Amino acid sequence: MPGPVVHLQGIGVRIGDTPILRNLDLLVGPGEAVGLIGSNGSGKTTLLRVIATLLRPTSGVGRVLGASLVDDERYDVRRRIGLIGHQPGLYPNLTLEENISFVARVIGEGQSVVGRVLEQVGLGAARHRTASACSHGMQRRAEFARVMITKPDLLLLDEAHAGLDPQAGELVAHLAAGARARGGAAVVVSHEHARIAPLVDRFVELRSGGASDAEATL
Amino acid sequence: MKRPHWLTIAAAGTLLTAMVTALMVPPERVQGDLARVLFVHVPSAWLAYLSFGVTLLGSAMYLIKQDLKWDRLAGASAEVGVFFTGLTLALGMIWGKPTWGVWWTWDARLVLTAVMFFVYLGYLALRRGIDDPVDRAKRSAWLGILGVVQIPLVHFSVLWWRTLHQPPTLLRPDGMQMDAPFRGALFMALFAFTMVYAALVRAHIANAKDEVRLAELIASEEVEVAGAAITAPTLGEVD
Amino acid sequence: MTGFWRQAMAITRKDLRTEVRSGEVLFITVPFGAAALMLIPLAVGVDAPLLQKIGPGMYWSIVLLFGVLVTVRQSATDGPSQRDLLSLLGIDPAARFAGRAMASIALLFTFEAVLAPVALALYGTDPAGWWWLLAVVPLVAIGLGLLGTLASTIASSISSATLVPLIVVPLAVPMLLAATQITEGLRIDATILGWILLLVIMDLLLAVAGVISARPLQEATR
Repeated sequence: MPGPVVHLQGIGVRIGDTPILRNLDLLVGPGEAVGLIGSNGSGKTTLLRVIATLLRPTSGVGRVLGASLVDDERYDVRRRIGLIGHQPGLYPNLTLEENISFVARVIGEGQSVVGRVLEQVGLGAARHRTASACSHGMQRRAEFARVMITKPDLLLLDEAHAGLDPQAGELVAHLAAGARARGGAAVVVSHEHARIAPLVDRFVELRSGGASDAEATL
Repeated sequence: MKRPHWLTIAAAGTLLTAMVTALMVPPERVQGDLARVLFVHVPSAWLAYLSFGVTLLGSAMYLIKQDLKWDRLAGASAEVGVFFTGLTLALGMIWGKPTWGVWWTWDARLVLTAVMFFVYLGYLALRRGIDDPVDRAKRSAWLGILGVVQIPLVHFSVLWWRTLHQPPTLLRPDGMQMDAPFRGALFMALFAFTMVYAALVRAHIANAKDEVRLAELIASEEVEVAGAAITAPTLGEVD
Repeated sequence: MTGFWRQAMAITRKDLRTEVRSGEVLFITVPFGAAALMLIPLAVGVDAPLLQKIGPGMYWSIVLLFGVLVTVRQSATDGPSQRDLLSLLGIDPAARFAGRAMASIALLFTFEAVLAPVALALYGTDPAGWWWLLAVVPLVAIGLGLLGTLASTIASSISSATLVPLIVVPLAVPMLLAATQITEGLRIDATILGWILLLVIMDLLLAVAGVISARPLQEATR
């Protein structure tokens, strides 16, 4: 993959009158995994949404997977971005299997993968449970199953570790490794420095709306 | 105090002249003094349609140019328009009671005006509900266009449904046989109301611009980023 | 199947399945509409010829007013995380609109179909020319489904769903007139083709509007 996966220059985001991010630079190269740390409200989630092309920055320029963040070309790279956010991206009234099968159907994958990935994330027995009846950790695992199908080149994880058992933590590592192996990258947000340290090459710290390289505790 | 804009003064002047003229012309032959309602009713109806047209223009231009000044025009015109549409309905009812013997009759133009009134209310409710100026502009532009594009269909269907209303009185050669002074006064009123419309729309736009300037002023100050509002907990220092 | 239709059908399927599970339309909106049909005779008094006369009009009014509720049902509204999911799956916004509208149309059709016998029974209306209604009922479902979906897309950055009916109802006046005039025309053997044409034009116009506005509206908040 030529060029950086994420390249932000002077990015600023304002929601209403409130600035959330200010003059932020970030460079993530192919095959790299970056840990994004910072205190509550430092703009980690906002930054992740900007990188995911879901939030248009109010100032600055940026490219993700080669597409400009402010032009229509960003729509074309969305399919290659995988985001696991705070709130689970699941339909609560559908079973886990139906949720994953919906994703497979949308992207034109055969239905045979659905059972396989659910087994892989350890949800084979819970596949017929509705998402709303599943615990937080199970919902997270279902999202990992989704990412296994969409195989994103850029994986964005927002506190994906929160409340997960160690096996599920291994799944996260597996997914991040997959994205890197494809020549993509992963950006992992967490306030648990130690938890994501084994996953990432370096840390970036968000402080009062801007980013600075943090000492890597590898 | 800020000096009033020249358009406001001109509008006030023409409106005053039109009012005096409207009161001075001899009563209409058939309907007598009651016909004077038309000096307000007809121009209001004209403005209702005009402002709908301007809202459509502003909405379409916003989507093409992405410039918020067109959105302000569309919004201002709708706010002024909803008032005049309401006035048209109210005066139509006041005029209809002695003329037709009922407050409301199900004729095509009346129903169309009422539908327009509700479309306007929906449009303004949407605008009120959205805070972000760009989001509001985009969404209301689409509704503005959808609303106005539907109007011919509403008009056509209602017309088809039934027509009782007297055909337009002014443009028909053998119409209400309006006297020349009466007709003159009506045109005067039309002109004055259009001036009032222009002045009101201008004032609304000026207001909206002031709000934007205020927001920019607040934004330009060095405001702390959102995260700075959170400080480290200070345990053990509570009284 | 092209990508567009595959995506649209996936959305429709997902919406309908969610709806079947929550039962909002079938077990809430349909009984609510039926209850409303029952209220009117109670309010105007039991006068058989009068009820027979107003029956079709009442039926279509209830379809219009309560049909809007079908288009703003819970399963047709996405939360922020579902919106993100759909965007990052790379779904064509027009396919998203089409898929959602198709689900609403199917549910509206069911709504109309269940309510029709209720209206016939309560008002004793003579179902003259009922085979024509087989064309009119879907045309109204399509128009109302498209209009409702379009209005809720326009109003999607407002959390309250109460605005959508205010937007939809005035704009749906031609549909109501066409539906009632067709029903009346069938009874007195008048020509109804013009009204059918009006419904078809309206449906086409709304479909075009929904498709071209899909991208800008779904991206508007960002």
